[in-house]
Amino acid sequence: MAQRDSQESHYLSTFAAFEQNGASASPDWLQALRKQAIANFERDGFPTARRGNELWKYTDVRSLASHAFTLSKGNGHEAIDFAPYDLPCPRVHQLVFVDGHYAADLSTEPPSQAEHQAETIGHRSEGLIVGRLSEAIQERLPLVEQYLSQQAGAGAFAALNTAFVEDGALVYIPDGVAVHEPIYLLFITTGHASVVTHPRVLIIAGADSKATVIQGYESLTADAEPYFTNAVTEIVTRPGAVLRHYKLQREARNAYHVAATHATVGRDSMFASVSLDLGGGLVRNDISTTLAEVGASVKLDGLYLGDGKRHIDNHTFVDHAVPGTSSDEVYKGILTDASHGVFVGRVLVRHDAQHTVAHQVNKNLVLSDEAEVDSQPMLEIFADDVQCTHGAAIGRLDPNAVFYLNSRGLDTREAQELLVHGFVSEILSAIVDDAVRQYTDDAVLTKLG
Amino acid sequence: MLEITDLHAEVAGVEILKGINLRVDAGEVHAIMGPNGSGKSTLANVIAGNPSYRVTAGTMEFEGEDLATMAPEERARRGVFLSFQHPVEIPGLRMDHFIRAGYNAVMKSRDEDQLDPLKFDRLIRAKAKVVEMDATLTKRAVNEGFSGGEKKRNEILQMAVLEPKLRILDEIDSGLDVDALRSVSASVNELMGPDKATLLVTHYERLLTYIVPNQIHILMDGRIVASGGKELAREIEAKGYDWLAEQQSA
Repeated sequence: MAQRDSQESHYLSTFAAFEQNGASASPDWLQALRKQAIANFERDGFPTARRGNELWKYTDVRSLASHAFTLSKGNGHEAIDFAPYDLPCPRVHQLVFVDGHYAADLSTEPPSQAEHQAETIGHRSEGLIVGRLSEAIQERLPLVEQYLSQQAGAGAFAALNTAFVEDGALVYIPDGVAVHEPIYLLFITTGHASVVTHPRVLIIAGADSKATVIQGYESLTADAEPYFTNAVTEIVTRPGAVLRHYKLQREARNAYHVAATHATVGRDSMFASVSLDLGGGLVRNDISTTLAEVGASVKLDGLYLGDGKRHIDNHTFVDHAVPGTSSDEVYKGILTDASHGVFVGRVLVRHDAQHTVAHQVNKNLVLSDEAEVDSQPMLEIFADDVQCTHGAAIGRLDPNAVFYLNSRGLDTREAQELLVHGFVSEILSAIVDDAVRQYTDDAVLTKLG
Repeated sequence: MLEITDLHAEVAGVEILKGINLRVDAGEVHAIMGPNGSGKSTLANVIAGNPSYRVTAGTMEFEGEDLATMAPEERARRGVFLSFQHPVEIPGLRMDHFIRAGYNAVMKSRDEDQLDPLKFDRLIRAKAKVVEMDATLTKRAVNEGFSGGEKKRNEILQMAVLEPKLRILDEIDSGLDVDALRSVSASVNELMGPDKATLLVTHYERLLTYIVPNQIHILMDGRIVASGGKELAREIEAKGYDWLAEQQSA
């Protein structure tokens, strides 16, 4: 117990200092939200227990919890060569944060109403917001108070993020607006010190709107000091909205990356998520979606590439809360060296949720003797008129396929490369925006070597 | 072109080939027939270098060089081609990308020109026409969702692109209706030449009316028990294999 107390007390004293400095200027509701969150964190503590801890049974966070990460002061940042992170398209709504602090020099200001390319579908296009959460809070935007932390929910990591919520991104797409340029939210860690950042993103997709949001998590150096990214993203899609959400995680190999994404999907609305994990030391993603109204659908795709001693844990949850909703989920992993991949896919079909369609597939390629995978589908179906399928596979490259390619003149290395590219292409092709796709293809193919 | 002497091979410790002798010269078509489990497919796979099979004794020479010590891709680059009995489905890998990679690997090994995607596209379209295959299939994942007939035709397309010297066709007739069989056979014949040789592995005499062999060999229990001309196939069709087995044991 003594050790556990000290793990949390580091963050409690950091919070006390945080409250004194600047955070006190926040509106009352936010101060109350933070206080409640730190109390929840203190009560729950890090999920380090190794027994009876179902949600964290495959992922041991004791080393994370015992590390005294500090908030970055954010006194400006070094010059950053941005070229590796540039999306290959001329117009991007881009917000960049370095060690948790907004980097104005790297961000492209949201275009003014006169220039921005948002197209109207029978509605006026004004009012698109791709901006800093801190500014929205300062300006007392009712949206923020209305939606912030409505979904982030329980758990020590989300509580910690909320307790320290200060800056991040707010994306608001007004009703009927189709945003053609990608909205790019990039969180860079310099890796010079053992910092903790709590990136917070709130996305509200208005009725019949359309947008693509890409969230990148990058490290300037592969051999960074251990650091901790504790991200929370909350998403609401209103009726008829189509929101494509891509996450590219390329943290340093010593980094801890814990990210929770929550989405509530409205009537006839579609939320499509592609999550790409190419980096990090210990990685945990939670994607939790609620199909809240008739006709809501989610498509969840994920790819995790483990090498070295990387540990990548993906937990997904789809809540079919009402009748007539659908979910389609494909997660794939490639694990080499002594890496460890985890996939736990929970699908809940509630009692009244008739005519639910839910498909889930998890496939893993294990390319070394020491690599490990845990794959666990969890289907909880309480309605009777449903179409639900799931499948899981863990295996090596099919020797017949390798021989087939050999027999056409390709050596075994070339054959494996083609087969691995074939394996990942299903996930990559889920990214429909050409510029983003080109960028993510490059990222994945570079990683695969 | 191919000279096999006293070849023994096993899979998972079980001996399947028990002393094969076979000589195939350029310009010839040979057919290997035999009942299920006699070792026909094993022979085809062993020649192509499938690592699931282990050669335990004997020699295999291709154009005077030892085949048994060559990796399967090396055999392919020198001109050995196996049309698979069960072509492998590879989701996510496009047919034209796959076969271009193979083509370029072969060309590279011969210090010949490799083709960029545009030029290769022209080549594969022309070859698809030769083998009467819908060229749009080449834009799909390798064999994924292909019908039995499409898979076989796809093997012949790959053969047409790679232009191998030794063409081993393992059960090319299975899963084909008469029209498809006629068309696939016509492609095989059209792609034949005096510098090439064909080894047909088949269950049925039917195929041999379309692709006419110079010689037929009957394989039983890992050995060639009879060799002869077309009349041998007709005898098998009429009497089955049992009489040969009896002749063997007698």
